[in-house]
Amino acid sequence: MVLADAFIQGILMGFLFALISLGLTIIFGVMDIVNFAHGEFLMLGMYTAYCLSISLGVDPLVTLPLCGAVGALLGLVSYYGLVRYLLRGPMVAQLLGTFGLMLFLRYLAVFLWGIDYRMIKKGLLVGKSLTVGPFHLDMTKVVCALLSLVAFTVVSWIIFKTRVGKALRATSINREAASYMGIKTERMNALAWAMGGITVGIAGGLLANFYYIYPMVGLLFVMIAFATVALGGFGSIKGAFFAGILIGILETVFPIIGHLLKTSIIGPHYKMTIVYLAYFLVVVFRPRGLFGWEQ
Amino acid sequence: MGAIREAFDFSDFPLVERIGFGIFCLFLLAFPWLGMDSFGMAVMIQFLLFSLFGMGWNTIGGYGGQVELGKAQYVGIGAYTVAVLMVRWDIPYWFSMPLGVLIALGYSFLIGYPLFRLKGHYFAIATIATSLVLQDIFINWNFVGAAKGIELPIKGNTFLYMQFTNDTYYYYFILAYFLAGVLYMNWFRKSKLGYQLRMIKIDEEAAESLGIDARWCKIKAYAIASAFVAVGGSFIAVYNLYIDPESVMHLELSIMIALMAMLGGAASLWGPIIGAAILVPLDRYLGSWLGGHKELMGVDFMIYAAIIMFIAAFEPRGIWGIVERYRGRRT
Amino acid sequence: MAFLEVRNLTKDFGGIVANNDVSFSLEEGEIVGLIGPNGAGKTTLFNCIVGYYRPDGGRVIFRGRDITGWKPFQTAREGIGRTFQLMRAAGELTALEHVMVGAFLHQEDRVEAEREAREVLAFMGLEGVADLYLTELPLAIQKQVGLARALAIKPVLLMLDEVASGLNPTETEEMVKLLKRIHREKGITLFLIEHVMEVVMPISERVIVLDGGMKIAEGPPEEIAHDEKVIKAYLGEKYARGL
Repeated sequence: MVLADAFIQGILMGFLFALISLGLTIIFGVMDIVNFAHGEFLMLGMYTAYCLSISLGVDPLVTLPLCGAVGALLGLVSYYGLVRYLLRGPMVAQLLGTFGLMLFLRYLAVFLWGIDYRMIKKGLLVGKSLTVGPFHLDMTKVVCALLSLVAFTVVSWIIFKTRVGKALRATSINREAASYMGIKTERMNALAWAMGGITVGIAGGLLANFYYIYPMVGLLFVMIAFATVALGGFGSIKGAFFAGILIGILETVFPIIGHLLKTSIIGPHYKMTIVYLAYFLVVVFRPRGLFGWEQ
Repeated sequence: MGAIREAFDFSDFPLVERIGFGIFCLFLLAFPWLGMDSFGMAVMIQFLLFSLFGMGWNTIGGYGGQVELGKAQYVGIGAYTVAVLMVRWDIPYWFSMPLGVLIALGYSFLIGYPLFRLKGHYFAIATIATSLVLQDIFINWNFVGAAKGIELPIKGNTFLYMQFTNDTYYYYFILAYFLAGVLYMNWFRKSKLGYQLRMIKIDEEAAESLGIDARWCKIKAYAIASAFVAVGGSFIAVYNLYIDPESVMHLELSIMIALMAMLGGAASLWGPIIGAAILVPLDRYLGSWLGGHKELMGVDFMIYAAIIMFIAAFEPRGIWGIVERYRGRRT
Repeated sequence: MAFLEVRNLTKDFGGIVANNDVSFSLEEGEIVGLIGPNGAGKTTLFNCIVGYYRPDGGRVIFRGRDITGWKPFQTAREGIGRTFQLMRAAGELTALEHVMVGAFLHQEDRVEAEREAREVLAFMGLEGVADLYLTELPLAIQKQVGLARALAIKPVLLMLDEVASGLNPTETEEMVKLLKRIHREKGITLFLIEHVMEVVMPISERVIVLDGGMKIAEGPPEEIAHDEKVIKAYLGEKYARGL
């Protein structure tokens, strides 16, 4: 029973992971850059929800559009202010550059808000639970999971069904060919970053409803995002979805298994380790993940 | 032996550089007598230590062109081996340090084998992952003191355990390692592996066509880097007399090491030293200045981050790259 | 026993059959050319032999050993050298150092490797550029350095990948003379993949023609130039007029 409960929790978290990873995979698909600062965008989305809900006295869910906006802004500023120049350089420079951005944003948060853990305590969903059959679920998590699913679907629809989205996909499949067809790659790059920013900003706003908010939280989730994107295949949207769910399940079920087997080696403190290991194994033994392209 | 001769042979450097380095060495040798305060001494010791780390990283990151961000785990291995062996079985430094290096070498071959199937971003992320995993393990492993870490018993002045009451001894100790490191790197860049690695970096396919097993070469370079860094780690154990996973295996440490080498100029002998010379004092003096201004917490890393972004965007070859460009060598 | 034997080689890229049951062999000391229109599968065949690709079917046998699927560094160690169409020029190694890396295959000592490298450069008349970085050299010289580098590993079979691409007529003539010298003075078997007929036809003893992944002709250059199948494949390439 505990296992089944963990399973459901895992799926719920998985939708959120999928949303978080969506931005990362879009950016990578379009221009082959890994945004190390992705976790920090998430973190800033969380702080946005927190600050706005406290200062305006509104429910955090209401702040979601603003979180998205903040994310988009971050993405665009990062692109035009930094990434554009990084693209000219060797890959080493790109790695270093987004890494620097990550550190910058993280310590900006430390500077602005200190290292204390914060938590949203007031809100429509906070603390309420939902009973479905034999399962007791955290209301917040359920709603956030559903909203993540909605957001994911909307973004996927944009990418697969709209003209702009198709242009984005064309650029990610073959940059040169797309530019010959009149698609402005510069704009596509910026768009990818904006979209990446929006999705992860919203994800942050959702996450803030039930997770601790602190500057280092970005590192935790970026590793999850990397594992998810690697597993799903860098650049694959479908992959991000399924991999997100898989990782969500893995992360919640694993400690339970340890508890059931009564070993202390497999325990909740190793939750992240299993994610890192998952990344490692996927990337070494099946680099293109479930749905990705040949490396 | 030919290798020793090679190590001391700096003749392919321009005269200016040779003289400059010579003067710098004299300065280093005389430093403790120049009347610096204990803070300054601590900064110099840090500088030498990080130069050592940076040079080690350089073998795989600079010459090899494989940016890896997981060096901290080897600092940890070096430090913990010395600490654990001393605390539990009273083993002297001169036995535990080589053992730590051996463990680091073994471990690096073990994870290097799968790691080097990867390239570029995937590789970098994987190195981060392995470091985080090891740190996680150490935080939870009671044998090594878990999150509390290990406090080394104070033994007063002893060469057997390499503990001293006077910082000057520590200074010359790390200086010896530093100079050995420089000589080693000088030999390395002219060695067969050094050339092969540089070829791999420029054009791996071409390197393979010349009979070079690229993956194996990279693993060897990675192992060398790990050994370097483990030696530095062993120094930290006897210098700080306290280690914990947070301080010796922290991700930020890996980043600082890589950053130092890249800032100064990866793939050059002087680069890591220059990088350390800039970042270590910056870190220390900025850190102590900020310590008095609690409201400015975080600003120091913001500055480093800004430096990183700037270098990445405009001069990825680092300071030494700027010097070389000024000299007319194009890339 | 042939020097290099390619038997029923097939390479399939998820639906596109780049090499379809190709068979031929080389004797030691020959100069053989491989030609064919764009997309014929020449590069794929080349890569299957040196080890960059693993063939899906067939065998590659070199000096009696089955090297099918061997990695590039393994085929290089067996004695198969190769040149590259594109030299990745970075300002990090001088021409001499490039060639030294090749020499290091048989050498442990740097001083010896340097000496050998200088010998090869002298053989090619490139002593003057030894200490220059590749980025400072014109394309034709870069390609010669690439050739020198391949020679430094002391190959017995040298595979040349479009060695004349990007060269003007004078440079092409120089290259032809150089290749003849290499063949004559070093006794290395040459296998050229080429588009430029002015290179292949004059020096090859034998020419193999690929089209659409299959071998459509094989024989001395004069015969090939007048072979109907070949002419059809190229649809009136200038070489037919030239010869």
